Amino acid sequence: MKNLIFEATKYTPEINLDAKGIISLVGKSYPENTFEFYKPMIKWLEEYFEVNEFGTTTINMEIIYFNSSSSKLFFDFFDLLEENCEKHTITVNWIYDGENVSAQEAGEDFIEDFESLKIKLVEK
Amino acid sequence: MNINHIQHMVEEDGIVFLSYGGFLSQELISGMTEALEKEAQYNDLKMNISNNIFIIFIELSQNMMNYSKTKDLTNRDIKPEGLILVSKDIKGNYFIDSQNIVAIEDKDKIEPRLQEIESLDKEGIKKRYRELRKNGKNTHGKGGGIGFYEIAKKCTKIEYKFKEINKNKFYFHVKAHIATYEDVE
Repeated sequence: MKNLIFEATKYTPEINLDAKGIISLVGKSYPENTFEFYKPMIKWLEEYFEVNEFGTTTINMEIIYFNSSSSKLFFDFFDLLEENCEKHTITVNWIYDGENVSAQEAGEDFIEDFESLKIKLVEK
Repeated sequence: MNINHIQHMVEEDGIVFLSYGGFLSQELISGMTEALEKEAQYNDLKMNISNNIFIIFIELSQNMMNYSKTKDLTNRDIKPEGLILVSKDIKGNYFIDSQNIVAIEDKDKIEPRLQEIESLDKEGIKKRYRELRKNGKNTHGKGGGIGFYEIAKKCTKIEYKFKEINKNKFYFHVKAHIATYEDVE
């Protein structure tokens, strides 16, 4: 499988999809058409989990701030991860700045919403 | 229009540092957000407060951009434009106002959500936000379902008003208050 990289823009994060099992999203997220923007990433992930039913994947997410449609998208993203986390070992690192209370709370909410998914809060 | 008139308004009504009335685009919204980031830096705002300001600004302006795109034959004149205003008082509290024209169909969608938000406390809003995010298959759409809950989560107070223009069109005004003191909930 090919790796996929999206450079950051003013309103979208840098996305790095490495088929070796490291995925990262870093930056801000408030695209105009959130679902259109993240579609290739979701498609890549679906294919990735199809090819790698078993395996180990680490996801590093460091989103400084994000709009409500990105919040919904991340929810669906975690949903997809949770569907695959029984066979595939998945760890999500939710990385945030200690001063960024909203980002911390958002991470805590995701942990509660996805009980079987391993989401770790990582304060920078 | 005399520019001094606007200057006077700006000075009278607190220190307005960003206002815009016209067509909105994603590029413009992100440019204005960058200007807000500079403002936050300059005023040494706490990261949490400044992020809340950015998100409220983004939600309101993206809403405006999206709702105004709901065009049908009877509302051909509703353009992706409106007024967006960021101001602050002498204490340093911030206010974000947005006003645009919405069609009655959109008013009927927006109003019940805002009424619900008004009836809830902060914890209730957070809870409802998560419920809607979890259940909402329809929250994908433009002008999505959880946007106002996002704003309500991140501000100290939200006010809104619909003012009738004719039976199909309304001015829709939202005002979000953001207290800069963290102990104020």
